[in-house]
Amino acid sequence: MQSWVGPVALYMLRGLELTAILAVVCSCASVLLGMLLGSALVAKPPFVRATVRLFVELWRGLPLIVILFAIFFGLPAFGLRLGASAAAGVGLSLWGSAVIADNVRGVIQSIPAGQLEAARALGLSWMKAMLLVILPQAIRRLLPPTLNLVTSLIHGTSLAAQLGALELLESGRRLIQRLLLSVGDGHSLAIFGAVLVVYFCICYPLVLGSRWLERRQQAG
Amino acid sequence: MNFGYDLDFWYLVQHGRELALGLGWTVAITAIGGAGGAVLGFVGAVVRVERVKGLSLLVAALVEFIRTTPLFVQIFFLYFGLPEIGLDLDALSVACVALVIWGGAYNVENFRAAIESVPQAWRETASALGLRRGQIFWLITRPVALRIAMPSLTNTAIEILKGSALMVAISFPELTDTGINLVAVSFRVFEIFIALAATYLFLAAGLARGMRALESRLAWPG
Repeated sequence: MQSWVGPVALYMLRGLELTAILAVVCSCASVLLGMLLGSALVAKPPFVRATVRLFVELWRGLPLIVILFAIFFGLPAFGLRLGASAAAGVGLSLWGSAVIADNVRGVIQSIPAGQLEAARALGLSWMKAMLLVILPQAIRRLLPPTLNLVTSLIHGTSLAAQLGALELLESGRRLIQRLLLSVGDGHSLAIFGAVLVVYFCICYPLVLGSRWLERRQQAG
Repeated sequence: MNFGYDLDFWYLVQHGRELALGLGWTVAITAIGGAGGAVLGFVGAVVRVERVKGLSLLVAALVEFIRTTPLFVQIFFLYFGLPEIGLDLDALSVACVALVIWGGAYNVENFRAAIESVPQAWRETASALGLRRGQIFWLITRPVALRIAMPSLTNTAIEILKGSALMVAISFPELTDTGINLVAVSFRVFEIFIALAATYLFLAAGLARGMRALESRLAWPG
């Protein structure tokens, strides 16, 4: 093993820390906001539905990198100056919540309308019928797509590097430059390869988990 | 409301040539990525379904790895990593190769699912009529699977379009890179991002429409 491997791994571990924080925070924010928005997508008032629909389609339709750049460069004009990782976090959360919202809508609509009607006929309010009858079933079906979204969010955190946030990819990039200056030859293949492998090791269990859940639910 | 910022959309017209060039590159690499990815995906799916010895496992492993790692990092790996082993690709080649491989990996799964959902009875019928294995695949399985796969191919094509924006990482002059460079010199943030957003939404909608038109053209009556 070459002498540079130890310090490099240590430095990249710090990058991995920001990647993990971003991924966890954005996943939680996406799920919370996405559930709310998703419920609004099946709400009765057409105005609410249309507004939320527009919001969801906008974020879902744009390349993630464009969203991140727009937030990073756009918010300061409103007097809100965010750091690179905060801007990336906001962008990823908005995008993730739009994806979750659409999944929530799909799942809720896949539950037969008769159930909501029956619950309403029994005297439950719309809110209570949703909370007690529809949501418990929906959450079970939501788990696989949500795990897939978490994987996408983890992938998405790598885009924060383009804003300059010191996450896993950016830590690798900086190390490559430093090694080039100090040692004098390139280490891009090894370091970017290592970054790919780390992402694989983190995301593959999630992918497998999502597939397992999906198979189990199809089996009934 | 005015946040001390005056929208000046004339700026976009002044820089229309650069933006149009960026749009052209975005369309070009999306087209190459989409078409190449479809062909690569189809070949990969056949290798998987036919369980070609040795190759099948390799394709499966590659597909899993590519789908489970970020495209953004893959681009860095191709552009900065590969030259160290003598594979020196320019930004355009990396953009195309990255999108073809990444889209191809998704399309392997799309085509595989489609091929596997062609009813077994149809193949048995063809076999009973005296068709050989290759004929059954080419005349029955392939055309049916292609039509089944169309919606998921459309989704992947749209993801390739969005993925093309990541080429900003290697300063390939596609639409997003052009836009970011204009922002950097002019600070016309809102004009440019509104234009970028509208263009990507329009392109995605157009792509979806085109694919649906193709789908209904391919559809068999009845």
